[in-house]
Amino acid sequence: MEGFSTRALHGASRGRDPHGSLRVPLYDSVSFEHEDSCSIQQAFEGRRPAHTYSRISNPTVDHLEQTIRLLSGGMAVLAVSSGMAAISNTILTLGGTGKNIVTTRFLFGNTLSLFQKTLLSWGLETRHVSMDNMGEIDRAIDSNTCCVFLESITNPQLEVADCRAISEITQQHAVPLVLDNTLMTPYLFNSRENGVDIEILSSTKYISGGGTTVGGIIIDNGSFDWNLSEKLRPHVLKYGPMTFIGRLRHEIYRNVGACLSPHNAAMQNLGLETLSLRIDKSCDSSLRVARFLDSHAKVRSVNYPGLTTSPSHLTAQKQFGTRFGGILTFDLADKEQCFHLMDSLHIVKRATNVNDNKSLIIHPWSTIFTEYSDEEKYDMGIRPTMLRLAVGIEDTDDLINDLNQGLEQL
Amino acid sequence: MNITLNGKVVELSNDTVSIADLLKKQNVASPDMVSVQHNNEIIAPDQFERVTLSDNDDLEFLYFMGGGEN
Repeated sequence: MEGFSTRALHGASRGRDPHGSLRVPLYDSVSFEHEDSCSIQQAFEGRRPAHTYSRISNPTVDHLEQTIRLLSGGMAVLAVSSGMAAISNTILTLGGTGKNIVTTRFLFGNTLSLFQKTLLSWGLETRHVSMDNMGEIDRAIDSNTCCVFLESITNPQLEVADCRAISEITQQHAVPLVLDNTLMTPYLFNSRENGVDIEILSSTKYISGGGTTVGGIIIDNGSFDWNLSEKLRPHVLKYGPMTFIGRLRHEIYRNVGACLSPHNAAMQNLGLETLSLRIDKSCDSSLRVARFLDSHAKVRSVNYPGLTTSPSHLTAQKQFGTRFGGILTFDLADKEQCFHLMDSLHIVKRATNVNDNKSLIIHPWSTIFTEYSDEEKYDMGIRPTMLRLAVGIEDTDDLINDLNQGLEQL
Repeated sequence: MNITLNGKVVELSNDTVSIADLLKKQNVASPDMVSVQHNNEIIAPDQFERVTLSDNDDLEFLYFMGGGEN
């Protein structure tokens, strides 16, 4: 098989463009014309592969889906309007009233809010466990568990779950394992080879090519027998191995309407072409910046899975090899020092996002987790002394110099 | 040999022996992303080569992506 970058550039090509365009055009059209009435009927029935309406499918979006499919090795891919749309569409497909999700308490803030607040009011329970405690995971799963939900690296706690070990438990219970792989992407971590059934990506991050557009991806790795899912079993006769993606495409996703804009897909098609280059640079810089911060007298502590001091280092090394993502956190003496440092930076931007081309810094306590009480924040591993740095692709020396001049002012 | 594909009668040439052959003849770009029912039975993608077609067979191809037709 060709390498990741070659596949990202050439893999999903479907023959010559009528005009010889080297780039998949932006099909900015809502509707698509059909030869005759039978053709449009068959397209609506799913019996002919043709686009009908861009809320359901679109050629530019389809190209993104096919490229991701090729890069991830998944069985089927669906692109949606955001990472949160990817999570909510997935849970709406798997879960329902009376069901539960087993997950870590260190979830991304908005995912936690979706589970604990939005979905709770529809009768879906969330059970929080320590992802490094296999016995606790095992005991939390019961006959109403619709999935176990993980993040490959939690944000901003930067905890790494052992996917293969957890997948052995989910397989014993016949429960699908869902992984938000946003911070690693299929380039750094192949979820299919590590026992994950459904992979979710916020393509807003690395894939968008530099914080250009919002989007989300759902990948069905084709590993779960949907006959074992009480909710999806009735659909297996119609869709077979494609039951999860079939129910999504033909019902949940279509009805919820969280479709990806063709414009966003065009930007993300471009972003995919340079994904590996940007990730390599971001990861290399992250490790150097983490080591610099770790050695600075004004910094109380640094958390980065690439540092041997990280509690997740060994698991991260086993799963990811030599690259550990583009996010790190560090602690200063107090919140005031955090704000002072943020305000003194010239290159690093004060903004909420990760895996942009530009380096971004944020104080999670006062922003992303602002809807939670202090007690809840501490429970989630969020401290008022913590800063999150998402390392971009600037020259590493310039980033270190910028952070150094800010720290020297404290 | 005649079969019914998605409700339409289709005449097959002699070299169309298996479901894989039929997918190829129908110019399906990503055959592993099509749900195939053969005489009301779902056929797994890894069986497309093995399952052979007979006269009057009823087949349903169900597509999950909007595009994909060459």
